[in-house]
Amino acid sequence: MEIVVSREELVAELALLQGIVERRATIPVLSHLLFQAEGERLSLAATDLDVSLSTGCGAEVLRPGQLAVQAKKFTEIVRALGADEVRLTLAEGNNLAIESGRSRFRIRGLEAESFPTLPKVESSSELEFPLATLRQMIGKVLFAISSEESRFQLNGALFKATDSTLELVATDGYRLARVETDFSGAGAEGLAQGVLVPRKALQEILRFSGEEPVRFRRNEHHLSFRIGDRELISRILEGTFPDYERVIARDHEKKPVLSREALQLAVRRVSLLSGERARGVLLRFEADLLTISAANPDLGEAEEQVVCRYDGEPVQIGLNPDYIGHFLGAIESNEVRLELKDAESQCVGFPIEDPEGEAGDRYLCVIMPMHV
Amino acid sequence: MARIQLLPDHLVSQIAAGEVVERPASVVKELVENSLDAGAREIAVELEVGGKRRIRISDDGSGMGKEDALLAFDQHATSKIRDFEDLQRVATLGFRGEALASIAAVARVELLTAEAPGEGWRVRIEGSRVRSVEPASRARGTTLEIASLFFNVPARRKFLKQPRTELRRCVEVVQGYCLACPDITFRLSHEGRSIIDATATSADGEGLRERIRQLFGDQLADALVELPAGGAAGESIRGFVGKRETAKGRRLFIFVNGRLIRDRQVLATYYRAVRDEWKHDEYPSLFLFLGVPPEDLDVNVHPQKSEVRFRDASFVHRVSRVLREGLVSARGEEAAPLREAWGAAERPLAWSGLGAVSEPSIHETAAAFDTRDAGADAQSGVWDWRRDGRQKIAEAAYDRASPSEVPLSRGSRDRAVRILGQYKGAILLLETPQGLLLMDQHAAHERVLYEKLARAMEAEEPKVQRLLVPQLLELSPSERLQLDSLVESLQPMGLQLERLSGGDLALVGVPAVLSDQQALSLVLELAASEEQSTDPAALKRQILESVAADRACKAAIKIHHALPMAQMEQLVASLFACDDPYSCPHGRPTLLEMSDAELERRFGRR
Ligand SMILES: Nc1ncnc2c1ncn2[C@@H]1O[C@H](COP(=O)(O)OP(=O)(O)OP(=O)(O)O)[C@@H](O)[C@H]1O
Ligand SMILES: [Mg+2]
Repeated sequence: MEIVVSREELVAELALLQGIVERRATIPVLSHLLFQAEGERLSLAATDLDVSLSTGCGAEVLRPGQLAVQAKKFTEIVRALGADEVRLTLAEGNNLAIESGRSRFRIRGLEAESFPTLPKVESSSELEFPLATLRQMIGKVLFAISSEESRFQLNGALFKATDSTLELVATDGYRLARVETDFSGAGAEGLAQGVLVPRKALQEILRFSGEEPVRFRRNEHHLSFRIGDRELISRILEGTFPDYERVIARDHEKKPVLSREALQLAVRRVSLLSGERARGVLLRFEADLLTISAANPDLGEAEEQVVCRYDGEPVQIGLNPDYIGHFLGAIESNEVRLELKDAESQCVGFPIEDPEGEAGDRYLCVIMPMHV
Repeated sequence: MARIQLLPDHLVSQIAAGEVVERPASVVKELVENSLDAGAREIAVELEVGGKRRIRISDDGSGMGKEDALLAFDQHATSKIRDFEDLQRVATLGFRGEALASIAAVARVELLTAEAPGEGWRVRIEGSRVRSVEPASRARGTTLEIASLFFNVPARRKFLKQPRTELRRCVEVVQGYCLACPDITFRLSHEGRSIIDATATSADGEGLRERIRQLFGDQLADALVELPAGGAAGESIRGFVGKRETAKGRRLFIFVNGRLIRDRQVLATYYRAVRDEWKHDEYPSLFLFLGVPPEDLDVNVHPQKSEVRFRDASFVHRVSRVLREGLVSARGEEAAPLREAWGAAERPLAWSGLGAVSEPSIHETAAAFDTRDAGADAQSGVWDWRRDGRQKIAEAAYDRASPSEVPLSRGSRDRAVRILGQYKGAILLLETPQGLLLMDQHAAHERVLYEKLARAMEAEEPKVQRLLVPQLLELSPSERLQLDSLVESLQPMGLQLERLSGGDLALVGVPAVLSDQQALSLVLELAASEEQSTDPAALKRQILESVAADRACKAAIKIHHALPMAQMEQLVASLFACDDPYSCPHGRPTLLEMSDAELERRFGRR
């Protein structure tokens, strides 16, 4: 293999591949990238066996060939190089020579054959949606994905489509975030039941940018997201997602409306005294007034008042301040509405969009109460 | 008068009975085994007051004629073996001819049995004495009714636990045979309330899975992977191992030739297999059925036959291989086409001398594994995750027996201690006026963290996080009985359980210091543990301790980790400031002492 590539183009692809490579891989080859030079192109691939990305860039291929190269070192080197072009040459013993300007490196690689074969996702039907929409949706639910490894069916988000809507839902058992958007796509059958997309794949999609749409396919075990020449392939998470429609309370009658920012800042301040191992703040709504308080036997107490629009019965609820913060951080609206019943029942939060904007109820976040 | 006297007969048989009959559950066990030996297809057990007042068991097995019906109660009367040769290859569950005699010595027994309809006999026996024998009618089969257990042995009667506890033990016994014989129908009821109702499935793997479903519910049944076939000719090794989501609760069942046993050797093999294959400290469910030719098995080790010895030592290795294969497929990786390109992962190297760093759990060799400790776990039937902090410092570094545990008293604590250094990144060497102290840095740090955490947690009111979706607990009949009795006591600790219709339980709130999965494991553990106090204060301590110990263990400095002097000093000072500096929260010693006297003796200076 001997090729010449543009350093800038290479760096852009390496940044995407970094997200896939296992940092603590127990299998050595998984910390490598697969290089394949052929035609006018250098193809690059990374995988952690669950999620893989194949991408590439244009190259002047003097001699085709392939090799697996240690991802972290290679990326560091290419980032640090000064010249615009990089020449990569496969030397004997699976070594890779990197030459650029006056710099020369030789790094050890592994046989390309030792790199896992990436799955192929063949499918007769394909869906297409704008990348920006998908990224926005992911940003609104990512925080609610469980990081508890043993609840693997919650280690991802449910991705669902009907003929007219696209929906993404995530929960960790204590809160749930759901976002829905209009979508006109035929061939959504494969998503009618919904599939569970692992967190890592969603995070990777957030790294993509550009105007090109996302083309989506699935088969029994895998999902494929194609954006231009790049293809992200993810194993479908197995397991059953909770019946979330049934869980979301729709009949709460106490509906205070508040400034998003004021609430966020007040909760952040009060939570400074909410305890270390188990964080909880108390929210008490009375006529047009919210009082947020926290107490910690070792440290002391904190209290702050926030004005709101509320004319119902007084109601009080304990919540984890981090959960409130994540919800408020995921939305941009000026105001939010919380729907409450009592201290034992869930709090459902909604952004209130500008009157001219789209209907606001298409995003919601359920937070379960905490006895404090 | 001579001081040595011969014991009267009835006393002899009562003493002998003590070995076989300890409590209602042991009666149930013997009677179920007899029914199975008699070829029954359907066995029904009815209990009153946890079996203390009455145990009635009826089967549709072979039944007995008049002569056998009477002989059955004689000591060493058995139809199952005749001579020593037979004893070498017992294929039935019973063989001693002791059970009925023992039971009859300590209870009021009524036997109703018929070899064919219309040829039945009723025999009444009370404290070994036959009271009446009369013809009676019954369909083919046998009914035994054991009333007033230990009516004539008050000391034993007093020893029995509350009905709830005795009932749970009886349920556990029947559950065991339910699993061992999925092709037989079992029913168990307590004072008219049905507790087990398991209709016959089939004897094959799928039948067994269905039986597990009947007892434990869908979640577990659907998360089991069948073990690959294995074992040499004449042996069988089969069963199921759970996927990773089953690594909660302690559902580990090992059967040998149809009998549920607590075998420390097989259990230890399983634990090691999980640690090696999964690099994990949680153990998935196991339903393991081992069959060996009767002559290769010594069941006569224990009067209740709950321990066995395999005559062929390599059998356990074959079991290990099957378990490992099963675990690999239960990990669920072969489903992904991606993995196929891949061979087995390389094993990290074992610890190999000064300064090297190794994966903890790998280098415990079979020989180095301390079976005494595994035995302690095996006896309580509970795997203790705590043992995982245990690593060998180096193989055979010194003679285990010699350094004695420190008999330090609190008073001697502030004596001068000089830190000599750190041995192999694992042990601090301390010089004291009395001798040399060895301090396990991991255990010591665990102790320090544990006391800090437990104090902090006790001071705090528990915050309770409600769950979005109540977690339905799928429990076996015996686990359900146990947990149901704990619901109220767990409430103040923030473990909120809700009783659902049909006797089910769901977890609806968890202490905010725990994740829902930790809370779930804790609850399932409480459900499966042998003896569970319902006293809220004791429960609270127990929960706090297990949480604190778990966290302390995870946070503590590991071994093979070099410490700068300042840190060593800090650790030594904090350890000696603990309430109990001499052991880690799991009971392992933190300190060992080589006294000057001991050193002198060993160097031949004394
Ligand atoms: N349910 C039954 N149906 C038919 N025969 C039975 C039944 N229960 C007991 N017997 C007969 O009574 C005999 C004595 O039973 P017992 O349980 O005392 O001894 P065992 O089963 O032979 O040995 P062990 O003491 O090891 O259980 C048995 O050998 C069997 O022949
Ligand atoms: Mg018997």
